[in-house]
Amino acid sequence: MKSLVALIKREYLEHRGAFLYAPGVILGIMTLVLVFGIASNRFQMHQEIGVPSALKFFEFGFLAVAALWCMYLLAALFFYYADAFSADRRNNAMLFWKSMPVTDFKVLASKSLAGMTIFPALIFVAYLITGILIYVVTMITAMILPRLGVPGVFEFLSSGFQIALFTLVGLVMALLWYAPFFAWVGALSTVFRRWSIPLAFLIPGLIGLAENLIFNDTGPRAGYFLNYLSERMKFGADNMELEKVIFSDASFNAAVMIPRFLSTIDWAQLVGGLIVAALLVYAASEYRRRTVAN
Amino acid sequence: MNDLAQTTAAPIVSARGLRKHFGRTEILHGLDFDIPAGRIYGLVGHNGAGKTTTLNALLGLTSYEGTVRVLGEDPYQKRASLMKNVAFISDVASLPRFLRVRELFALLTNIHPNFDQAKARGFLEGTDVKMEARIKNLSKGMIAQLHLAVVMAIDAKLLVLDEPTLGLDITYRKRFYRRLLEDYMTEERTLLITTHQVDEIEFMLSDIMFIRDGELILHMQMETVSSKFSQVLVRPDQVAAATALGPIYSETRFGQTAMVFDGVDRDRLAQFGDVTTPTLSDLFVALMQRGPAK
Repeated sequence: MKSLVALIKREYLEHRGAFLYAPGVILGIMTLVLVFGIASNRFQMHQEIGVPSALKFFEFGFLAVAALWCMYLLAALFFYYADAFSADRRNNAMLFWKSMPVTDFKVLASKSLAGMTIFPALIFVAYLITGILIYVVTMITAMILPRLGVPGVFEFLSSGFQIALFTLVGLVMALLWYAPFFAWVGALSTVFRRWSIPLAFLIPGLIGLAENLIFNDTGPRAGYFLNYLSERMKFGADNMELEKVIFSDASFNAAVMIPRFLSTIDWAQLVGGLIVAALLVYAASEYRRRTVAN
Repeated sequence: MNDLAQTTAAPIVSARGLRKHFGRTEILHGLDFDIPAGRIYGLVGHNGAGKTTTLNALLGLTSYEGTVRVLGEDPYQKRASLMKNVAFISDVASLPRFLRVRELFALLTNIHPNFDQAKARGFLEGTDVKMEARIKNLSKGMIAQLHLAVVMAIDAKLLVLDEPTLGLDITYRKRFYRRLLEDYMTEERTLLITTHQVDEIEFMLSDIMFIRDGELILHMQMETVSSKFSQVLVRPDQVAAATALGPIYSETRFGQTAMVFDGVDRDRLAQFGDVTTPTLSDLFVALMQRGPAK
């Protein structure tokens, strides 16, 4: 366990750029823009912004940045897995890591777990910091549009906590849901290195094409395989009608929203996907074990 | 050819019928050898002779045919657990370049149960390698010193060095081997080393193995080498008589003829000129041009 944690820390040290420095730069730019806007008194707000209160404005903003940070995380993780599984070969460090008393499976498992734990945690912290900026923007908006009212700090904290909790659950479920796709590009990276990114799309595309050529017009449009992948790419939150909740008068309630969100998830698909992910990581580790180090 | 009856204790390394194919080409042609504990072995051969493939097989880095046991274990199946007691440098450029020296030591402390950070820091005292330095910013010689400090700080029973000083200048090379001999070697430890600069390690070797085209052509203790092989600087009027004794190698240097003999009595050779023990490089050149030593 101690060595696994150390290997995850190694991943953090090697790949923190996309998950620590880049979000730090983004937050820095957002803060600078905000400070510049305040200092130069350049904030402008349309009178009709479609939200009933400052608190709803804050909730809408906080949920919107949650979606943006989630998209950033999923994209960064895709590139992380495409790189990390072959990074030891690319860095000419394979022989060094092979001289350590850890199995190839443990090394790849540490890479997989880093992408599922420490890196999402960093992005989540960045998201929480963004919440502070959203709060500042909300207060400025409330001053410009007095009809929105100014809720107390406790109300903001409570609302922020509810949304952050919902985002955390959503983030965890998204990571689990997309785990087989990450494992797929990671496993390809073990064999094909940087070519894993185009191959991650090309191989399913070719399988779909082959299916269409062989079973012409006997199945659904584009074929069973690509239809399945298309459906599997959709994540549960798509069906939640979040807009209705956001633009209602009631405050965001995680106790209501989280069960509703979890009920949209196809658990059989999720568990099956995790098994596929584990098998892909295992296959990649066996390939890594069997190939001469350099 | 082999001088195997060196000890009754279980050998640290044992290979029987070690073969390796790359495609249809056989690289190793059934090597048989034992390496007892407490010895310093040199494995010498031309480029492409099979040295690195042999070491890779011993270190569990590649598959093979035949039987190999290192510390009683099958290295290909048990590489990870074996690495608790086996340390190796296969390429001095293989240290993870993104780490600082301090970070590397901290990770190794948690990854390798037999790594002693205090020892490693001690080995670096008096060198130019600083704990806060990034490995990518170190010179080639400093990286070699760091890598040596890392492996010497691992309490291993077997240390394998594959061309550990490749690309280093003579000062670093001499310091490297002196450090290894003075600070690391004990009776319980075994060292297996390959290098092209055989003259530089000759002083420290207890045993030598020459490999040619995937076959061991010499495997014996250094004491046996000096009693078995003789080199004579033959006087010009004695060349014909000396040639009649069947030298395994003969060359003319600055007008003098040097001949290497295998198993010919030194008193008998003394009549032809000055008799010495051939250096390993002379013996290597001699044996690479004929069949296995008898």
